[in-house]
Amino acid sequence: MSRDTNDLLHGTLDVLVLKTLSWGPMHGYSITQFIEQRARGDLEIVDAALYKALHRLETAGAVTSEWGRSDNNRKAKYYSLTARGRALLRAETDTWRRYAAAVSRVLETT
Amino acid sequence: MERELDDEVAFHLEQRIADLILRGMSPADARTEAMRRFGDADDLRDYCHTIETTHMRRMRFNEWLESLGQDFHFAFRQVRRSPGFALVVVLTLGLGLGATTAIFTVVDSVLLRPLPYPESDRIVQLWEVNAKGHHTNFADPNFTDLQQQSHSFSAIAEEANWGVVSVSGTSEPMRANLARTSRGFFDVMGVKPVLGRLFANDEQTLDGAPAAVISHGFWIRAFGGSPSALGKRLQMGNTTVTVIGVMPPELDFPAGTDLWAPRELDAPLPSRTAHNWQAVARLAPGVTLAQAQADVSAIAHRIKLQYGDDVTMTDAALLPLRDELVGDTRRMLYTLLGASAVLLLIACANVANLLIARMASRQSEVAVRLAIGAARARLIQQFLIESLVLSLAAGVVGLALAQGGVRVLTALQPGRLPRAGGIHIDWSVLLFAFVVSALVAAVLGVSSAWRGSRANLRDQLSQGQRTMSGSSHHLRSALVVTQMALTLVLLVGAGLLGRSFAKLLAVNPGFRTDSLVVLNISASIGRPAERARFYDDLTARLRGAPGVASIGTTGSVPLSGDGYGNGNFIVMNRMDEHMTYADMARMGRDPDRAGSAEYRVVGPGYFETMHIPLLRGRDFSQSDAPNGPNGPHAAIVSASLAKQRWANGNPIGKIIQFGNMDGDMTPYMVVGVVGDILESSLADRPSPTFYADYRQRPGRTSNFNVVIGYHGSSTPIIAAARQAVRDLRPDVPPRILTIESVVAGSVTDRRFVLFLVGVFGAVALLLASLGVYSVISYLVTLRARELSIRVALGARGRDVGRLVLRQGARLAAAGIVIGTAGSIATSRLMEGMLYDESPTDPVAFAAVIGLLAVVALAASYVPARRAARVEPMDVLRSG
Repeated sequence: MSRDTNDLLHGTLDVLVLKTLSWGPMHGYSITQFIEQRARGDLEIVDAALYKALHRLETAGAVTSEWGRSDNNRKAKYYSLTARGRALLRAETDTWRRYAAAVSRVLETT
Repeated sequence: MERELDDEVAFHLEQRIADLILRGMSPADARTEAMRRFGDADDLRDYCHTIETTHMRRMRFNEWLESLGQDFHFAFRQVRRSPGFALVVVLTLGLGLGATTAIFTVVDSVLLRPLPYPESDRIVQLWEVNAKGHHTNFADPNFTDLQQQSHSFSAIAEEANWGVVSVSGTSEPMRANLARTSRGFFDVMGVKPVLGRLFANDEQTLDGAPAAVISHGFWIRAFGGSPSALGKRLQMGNTTVTVIGVMPPELDFPAGTDLWAPRELDAPLPSRTAHNWQAVARLAPGVTLAQAQADVSAIAHRIKLQYGDDVTMTDAALLPLRDELVGDTRRMLYTLLGASAVLLLIACANVANLLIARMASRQSEVAVRLAIGAARARLIQQFLIESLVLSLAAGVVGLALAQGGVRVLTALQPGRLPRAGGIHIDWSVLLFAFVVSALVAAVLGVSSAWRGSRANLRDQLSQGQRTMSGSSHHLRSALVVTQMALTLVLLVGAGLLGRSFAKLLAVNPGFRTDSLVVLNISASIGRPAERARFYDDLTARLRGAPGVASIGTTGSVPLSGDGYGNGNFIVMNRMDEHMTYADMARMGRDPDRAGSAEYRVVGPGYFETMHIPLLRGRDFSQSDAPNGPNGPHAAIVSASLAKQRWANGNPIGKIIQFGNMDGDMTPYMVVGVVGDILESSLADRPSPTFYADYRQRPGRTSNFNVVIGYHGSSTPIIAAARQAVRDLRPDVPPRILTIESVVAGSVTDRRFVLFLVGVFGAVALLLASLGVYSVISYLVTLRARELSIRVALGARGRDVGRLVLRQGARLAAAGIVIGTAGSIATSRLMEGMLYDESPTDPVAFAAVIGLLAVVALAASYVPARRAARVEPMDVLRSG
């Protein structure tokens, strides 16, 4: 089943982006690919929503950006995680885990 | 930033298309698929724009906050660097703010705040208006007509302050103020008891069971606030009254009332000229003041038309109750508010002066900062904050002073200040203080920043501080001149009030104002005869006490604010001329037969004890038979009555009918003439007065005074008086005063205004002299070079000193001229507050001008001496 990220619970995309960037600076397109590969096609991200998330995180000070060169030597905007972003990621991951566990507990009760 | 987003999106799409083509899609399909997967790019653009601008705004606000923080920090550092300057500014401004806030507090509580009753602006007081335009109380039938015919009121009632009564049956016997109110009174006020109930209909009738509603204060005082007060029986003389309700603390009308009792326990008087009752009403919904006024006027005109000379009412007036209560104090309070505002202005001028001087020393700092690119707005902000810090500190000091000041004011306040109970500093006053201090801060800050930032940089940096002074010196001189002028206005006011007060105290009131003790008793003891016997016993007992020189009795002590009465009397042709009330009314219109006078009941020894001279005939004597059935009762008249009523000034032996005052139709015979006295106020003229002997006419003696002349100290006399009353009637608590405190009490409001204006004037003088001193010293510093050249060229120190003094004299002269003009221009405001003193009295003006000139010269003298001692070479070398 493939799910559109527009359906994702609010804040889920943010935490996915933060997690992705924790591997190192990336531009928007590679972030999409990274997430989709890890999700093995079960998540399809609407690109516009990704960029919204990136800009939202940037004004919140969780990520910063700078222009650089891509693998094929094209000008691309690279995002990287800030210290605040790292802290946010830890907090959000915790929240998400607890949330997911709670939901599955409910669903698995027979 | 929009461009960046577009680039970013373009890169993303290219990558996606390239990938899709790699996976075997045709370029056209790849493009469509990439667009689909991207989603709404326009929406993204809007979104990014929104969060970006919000973010920017927040950033800018944060930056501003940070600069604000820096400026505050800087301001505090400035304060720490020159704590003396800050202290002087804060204290000066604080003093002005404190005075203004304290007075404003009183004005606010007394004049501005609405009365504490529901829709209190709908409550009005009604008056009969006579042919002379004077307001008088209502006579019963006139009130009844008004009540029945008017359509403007939802409730209307009569009430009267019944004076002080002695009450027992409480925790201990005490004096209480009794008011009588008619049905509807509590509807007019719109208040309900907090405990118990109001009067039932059968209590508001002639033979109703006597009941009383008590005030909250009396409830606390007499019953400790216990609910068991309900149903308690109070003994007032020989009537017993049941407490049925307790009113809320707000109800204070008539002012000071402790007990309200139904008016209906007494039958209405048929006379249309017995002005015994005040009338209050509540406007019906939708009725305006003007409509109600038209309504009552029309009724009054009908009454006049119908009853002609039987009424003195020609019109009726109605005024908001609050205006009635505030009355004369309005002028006094606004005068004080004006005076305190002048003081605040002087304080501001002083602070402005200091700030300018300080600005001069910071000129180069400002110039440098401007030169290295500081924004002017930023500089202004910094100065604003510096003065804001100082002003707010001053505001805090001012509030503390106001707290104390209000306490002093309420302690000093004339007893007649209405609504004094409600005086306290509340948030509106707090707001007032801080708005005023913030305004002062804004004006001072902006003006100094503007002056500072306007300065020419090159002049500043190349020439240092010395030249900066020309224009700022002019401004400072102008400020000092303003200060001097305002100070003069205040001092002239204080001088006029002071002279007027001194003249008032020097007035001979016509009676002795020392070595007298006044013992006041309020007792509705039994029948008049029983009362007279009690007074006889009391005086007999006191006459023998050690130290007592003489003793007398009277129904009302002059200048004490006791209730007085007056009326029209008839001169009878012969002893046995038959006369009824109706005859009196008819003859009262005949000027040959009628006369009008104040009516007093006194006892033998009164005139002697009070040192009121006997001009003709004899005093009352023990031989005047108490209630003698045969022959006329003795009467004594005052000199002004004798002169006014009898052409030859000799009324001895005249027979007079004055039975309308106490219901006893026994005629009087005049046996003596005594000197005039001032009764209601030292500032009034003596009123023609008629005296009866209480032993013959005890009818109106429920409030009574024994005056005791003594040798030596008043203390044993007061103790003896208290003991004598306690022995005879323990249920009657007396009030004992010295005559000095009675006289002083009659002028407290004048003393109050004088004291405050005097204090303001003194503070203003201090500030103005500081202003002169600082400007002249500064001038000496500025001119040090020039002065030392003069000395080097042979000028003597004395000449140099004189030169400096002349500068001070010039400032003082300018201030005095402007201030004198200002005082004359505002003199009309003072007119009503002065006694026997012209508001342009040259003596007061001359004295104040002299004082101000001396102070200004003294303030210039110190710097002038410094200038005179200048060592030219020191100055020239250092320059």
